[in-house]
Amino acid sequence: MLDLILCIDDDPIALMLIKKNIRKVNFSKEIVTAQNGEEALDFFKSLNSTQSNSTINIQPQLIFLDLNMPVMGGWEFLDYFNNDEYSNFNNIKVIVLSSTIDPDDIEKSKAYPMVIDFLPKPITTEMLFYLKTKI
Amino acid sequence: MKNKTSQIIIIYILTSLFIAIISFKLLKNFTSYIDCYFFSFIKDLLFIILTGLIFRFILSKNDKRNSLFFEDLKKINEKIKESNEKYDIVAKATSDTIWDWKIPEDHITWNKGIKSIYGYNQNQVGNNSKWWFNNLHPEDSIKMSIKLYSFIEQKTEKWQDEYRFKCADNTYKYVLDRGFLLKDKDGKAIRMIGAIQDITKQKEEENRLKLLETVFTETKDSIIITEAGSNENQIPKIVFANPAYTIMSGYDHAEIIGKSPVAFMGKNSDTQQIEKLLSAINNKTECSIEIICYKKDHSEYWVRLSFIPVYNLEQELSHWISIQRDISEEKKLEKEKEQLIRELTQNNKDLKQFSYITSHNLRAPLSNLTGLLNLIEDISIDDDELKEILTGFKISTHLLNETIDDLAKVITIKDSHSVHNEEIFISTVFKNIFNQISFQLETFKPEINLNFGNVVKINTNKIYFESIILNLLTNAIKYRSEDRKLHIDIFIVETYNTILLTFKDNGIGIDLDRNKDKIFGLYQRFHNYTDSKGLGLYLVKSQIEAMGGSISIESEINKGTTFTLTFKNQL
Repeated sequence: MLDLILCIDDDPIALMLIKKNIRKVNFSKEIVTAQNGEEALDFFKSLNSTQSNSTINIQPQLIFLDLNMPVMGGWEFLDYFNNDEYSNFNNIKVIVLSSTIDPDDIEKSKAYPMVIDFLPKPITTEMLFYLKTKI
Repeated sequence: MKNKTSQIIIIYILTSLFIAIISFKLLKNFTSYIDCYFFSFIKDLLFIILTGLIFRFILSKNDKRNSLFFEDLKKINEKIKESNEKYDIVAKATSDTIWDWKIPEDHITWNKGIKSIYGYNQNQVGNNSKWWFNNLHPEDSIKMSIKLYSFIEQKTEKWQDEYRFKCADNTYKYVLDRGFLLKDKDGKAIRMIGAIQDITKQKEEENRLKLLETVFTETKDSIIITEAGSNENQIPKIVFANPAYTIMSGYDHAEIIGKSPVAFMGKNSDTQQIEKLLSAINNKTECSIEIICYKKDHSEYWVRLSFIPVYNLEQELSHWISIQRDISEEKKLEKEKEQLIRELTQNNKDLKQFSYITSHNLRAPLSNLTGLLNLIEDISIDDDELKEILTGFKISTHLLNETIDDLAKVITIKDSHSVHNEEIFISTVFKNIFNQISFQLETFKPEINLNFGNVVKINTNKIYFESIILNLLTNAIKYRSEDRKLHIDIFIVETYNTILLTFKDNGIGIDLDRNKDKIFGLYQRFHNYTDSKGLGLYLVKSQIEAMGGSISIESEINKGTTFTLTFKNQL
């Protein structure tokens, strides 16, 4: 079981589904959510500052990322997240979770080394079991 | 001469008689008979001496005159001889046919040319003017005789004429005839001598050139001819331009001659193209370019022009011929077409993007619904009515999901970038497919006869290939006949890198007469089956065409349907 995961999605129902499924299969102890890329980046920034205060803080071990979101979408988030600013977190793995069928999107995701999988919505317990074996 | 002689003799007799009478009279008056003999003797002596002197004078004068006269004759004779020789030489040397016409007698003689050039034997040649005139071409004879007679009547100064003269073999030769008149003291024409020159070759060449010239003058393509080269590294100067060029360029002929074709180009003319032309001219090679030129009124037009080197007999470059065509209209169309293609491509791209977004926006809430329904499954519900409602809810969601998935498939197929080929084993593919529909196969137990001979592998898109076969199989099962056991024959053969797949069933068939055009259309259903969405064959066709293949159908109601598919077996 993971300790902490981050879910980035603007759709509250999708977030709810993720939470419920994760609890169901004991995928992670804790779940934090962000409504879009920017909120997620803010979350990591706050982690950075608290870490510099040498308080021990746990990092999310996995990110579920939606692509189409207002303010900052998934791709933009990945671009920022790849920067040196977030180098502390570049060992965090990312799962893209999207309803897209655009083949270019799947192709594009391969360019980001932290993205380990591209899964179609909705999230299911089977998917989580599969991910457990992969991580 | 005789007159002179008798004159002299008469003078001599008269003078002698006069002296004799004077002497006799003097003797009678002044002398006596004594001296008579002596005196008579003296008188005779004097008379003989006197007449001797007179004779000598007259004879020597005559002699002188005679020898002068003889000299003259001799000279004239020599001149005549020389002239005759010259005539003979010229008559032999000339290719002209000489005729000599004695007009009052109407008698004509011809020299050898009449045989060597026109083929007439001596006995075929008539000796009067009638024969001559009869051999003129009918179209030329009137004009010719009018000119000739007005010359003979000395109304005109000179005579020369061109006409067609008939040869012995009945063909006509073009001739140039020139002649002069001989007149008597009264100025009446008594003789005419002429020379006929065969100008058939020149005439034919002239006609040929005239014909060729019409190409130059009449063609709608502009043609200019330039000098061979230019010393200041320019396109050589124009020496000729045809009417089409003056029309195209708007310049007068005189304004064009002597200018370099560069003079008709301007600020929007592609300098690279001009450089290309210049280097071709320097290398003496053919060249073709497209370039903007300017008319006299400064308006632009597009020209496709070629430059072709022309060599003379000595194999030296003598000129350049440039054929030019106004392609402004073509260029305009081309531009419009490019613009249209650009717009269409953009539109297409936008539409594709739109369809992806729409699909995404539909799928996102739908996936939530599916997810929620999945969660409900684990919750036990006691209320029967709620259970029923939730089941209906679930079926509808499932159907909606399937439809949207199918539509999404269609969109991805149309986006042909996503076709990736791989080598697949036919036996594996079919095993896979049969696994996917094992439930249906168990239920309906169709007899499937699969024969792929020695075709073991296909290089194709695995997902599409599977989807196509799966669609055809489920269709065959869905539209089976209730009256007989379902038979399915699948044959695969390979010819010239093309895989031919025949898929034959003995099902209920489709009325192709009515539905020929719609059979592979989107949302076309031909049987009232609830689980039919009218998408299967449309998908099959889209997929096979995305792979560069084709599909055709033959069907007979209640007998069965045969699909013939071709795949490119690309390596």
